[in-house]
Amino acid sequence: MSQFDKLIASVRGALEHRGAPAHDGAEASPAMPPSEASRRVELVSSFGRELEVVGGRFLGMLTPKETAARIAEVAASIKARTASLGDGVSNDPAPIAAGLESLGIKVIRTAAAGDPEARAAILRELARCDLGVAEAACAIAATGTLAIVATAARPSSLTLLPPVNIVIVSAERVVADLAAALAMLGTETIASHRVALVTGPSRTADIEKRIVLGVHGPRELYVAIVWRADD
Amino acid sequence: MANETEQQDFLAASEAAVRDAELRRKLENASGRHLEHVAATRAEFPAYDDERAAARRIKQEAIERLDELLVQLKERLEANGCRVFAASDAAEARNYIVELARGRGARRVVKGKSMTTEEIGLNAALIDAGCEVVETDLGEYIVQLRGERPSHIITPAIHLSKEDIGSLFHEKFQIPYTAEPEALTAVARERLRETFLAADLGITGVNFAIAETGTLVLIENEGNGRMSSTLPETFVAVMGIEKVIPKMADLSHFLEVLARTATGQKLTTYTNFVSGPRREGEIDGPREVHVVMLDNGRSRMLADPVLREALYCLRCGACLNVCPVYRRIGGHAYGSTYPGPIGSIVSPSLFGGATAQLPFASTLCGACREICPVKIDIPRILLHLRWKETEGGGALPVPRWPRAARQARFGLRAFARIARHPLAVRVIGRIGAVLMRPFAWHGYVRRMPPPFSNWTRARDFPVPRMHKRLARARRGAGA
Repeated sequence: MSQFDKLIASVRGALEHRGAPAHDGAEASPAMPPSEASRRVELVSSFGRELEVVGGRFLGMLTPKETAARIAEVAASIKARTASLGDGVSNDPAPIAAGLESLGIKVIRTAAAGDPEARAAILRELARCDLGVAEAACAIAATGTLAIVATAARPSSLTLLPPVNIVIVSAERVVADLAAALAMLGTETIASHRVALVTGPSRTADIEKRIVLGVHGPRELYVAIVWRADD
Repeated sequence: MANETEQQDFLAASEAAVRDAELRRKLENASGRHLEHVAATRAEFPAYDDERAAARRIKQEAIERLDELLVQLKERLEANGCRVFAASDAAEARNYIVELARGRGARRVVKGKSMTTEEIGLNAALIDAGCEVVETDLGEYIVQLRGERPSHIITPAIHLSKEDIGSLFHEKFQIPYTAEPEALTAVARERLRETFLAADLGITGVNFAIAETGTLVLIENEGNGRMSSTLPETFVAVMGIEKVIPKMADLSHFLEVLARTATGQKLTTYTNFVSGPRREGEIDGPREVHVVMLDNGRSRMLADPVLREALYCLRCGACLNVCPVYRRIGGHAYGSTYPGPIGSIVSPSLFGGATAQLPFASTLCGACREICPVKIDIPRILLHLRWKETEGGGALPVPRWPRAARQARFGLRAFARIARHPLAVRVIGRIGAVLMRPFAWHGYVRRMPPPFSNWTRARDFPVPRMHKRLARARRGAGA
């Protein structure tokens, strides 16, 4: 057998191994299944991209400490003098409040209202605030959407009345699409709370189909994804 | 039958609209880019066709089980603390809401964008009862200030330019003239913000009502629906009975197709879920939630196996945007709350009267069927309604035109006979062309004497003449 024949035989022998289908290049098949962390990074970056498409501003993936600092920065950049802050979903709002207060911003912590007069007063206060800070129950990567689930101490109005919103979401609560978000929230939760899916700042196209932001709801929407170090 | 739409002759109104060059410019300006945008958004979503098929299947199932689902929805809504009122027609719905406003001493009413409340003529009834009613969707606010009706289901002020709106705000609010959409929107925001905070009663429509949980879903971009359903102490949702869907899990299929088709967005800015009044200690939401389930002709549509499909409609407005007729004449010429292709199939059942002519206001080109997110076969329904109208076999309480129909049938039969003989076509065609010529004016034949007047009533013919190339070809063949 010549050297060449040997080479060909070797090549043929190698081609016999047809265990895996030919790679067509269309879809990269990774050597290892994607890790939980890389999948999450992918969802978060998709969320950030889509949020920017609808006119929101993506603050990135931050640790809780960075989050409080970044929120204070944004508050300073919009020259906020008053901010309202609701209860968290899975993050403690206390460091955020402290960060804002250290800048001399008056922070209003929303709380349950007893009677209609107290309620009306809180609503007016929220409407006068320069900034509303809230936490979303989950976020949708495919559309840049935030799911806001209201409770007594985390009112929906917080993400409706102030002209600027900063919303935080935990990284593990970013899901792929709408169906996954509805499943994560759960039918029970949706049926027993006021829920709003928020995709970008309030917008209209009612004048010559030109897009204008900030009709009734917030004009500016900033979102930070919180990634805890121990994750 | 309740009839809230001002009755007008479609032919006269559409003729005037066609000659309104300014209106056409505005419509073309608004719809051109929009259609490209919608097409692009759909193209980049690979699951679009699957979601669309799922949405249609669920609607079909929901309409077939409408009785059961409405019973379940009512039970769940009531269990959630809502009050449900079933209105068989527009007057019942209006009276209920007017009485409610009276009972609660509500004088300041804010409305989110809603076609159903337009359909029942609610604003006029509330104003008569002494309420101040403010439309809060920017487009609706603009047309309300002008004392007009919306000319499109989702973009009510599409017939107006930014200059028109600038002048309107300048006159009404005594502010310096500006035609900048950003500045105009800011003016509206400021004025409406105060209105919202002071309102006693909020009213909106409903996009979906989930029977399984008794949850209302309101879809919008501006926040007007969210404000109207969150701030006032009393909230009324007016829903057509066809809005019910079985389960929460069904919803995503609709949301995946609705905004993509309506506005070219992946999802609208706000999707609001309202399941009941606010709970102990909560700040958001009304103390009372009332749900008005409106029939107003819908069960009549349900009873017709062909027309039934029209109840699948999600009111996305896409069929208006693609319709060659709507794009020439705009919404007002239809003389109905619901213009365009979908309006032409639902209006006769909802309003009767002159809207019975609307099924004829179509070229049957099929663009509406192509774009529809739930694939309603609008051309088929248009033909069905035309047939019912001319044969008089239908249950629709509309005026019929038996004489015109007889004449049309006679004419078409005669044409069918003549068309079998090429020589007859040529000879009669020539005679016809010669006879038509005296009626020509500026290159068009617009009016002919009876019995042909029925034909020219809605059609302008170019002056008939032998096509030159055709004539040459014939001469060549003869030589």
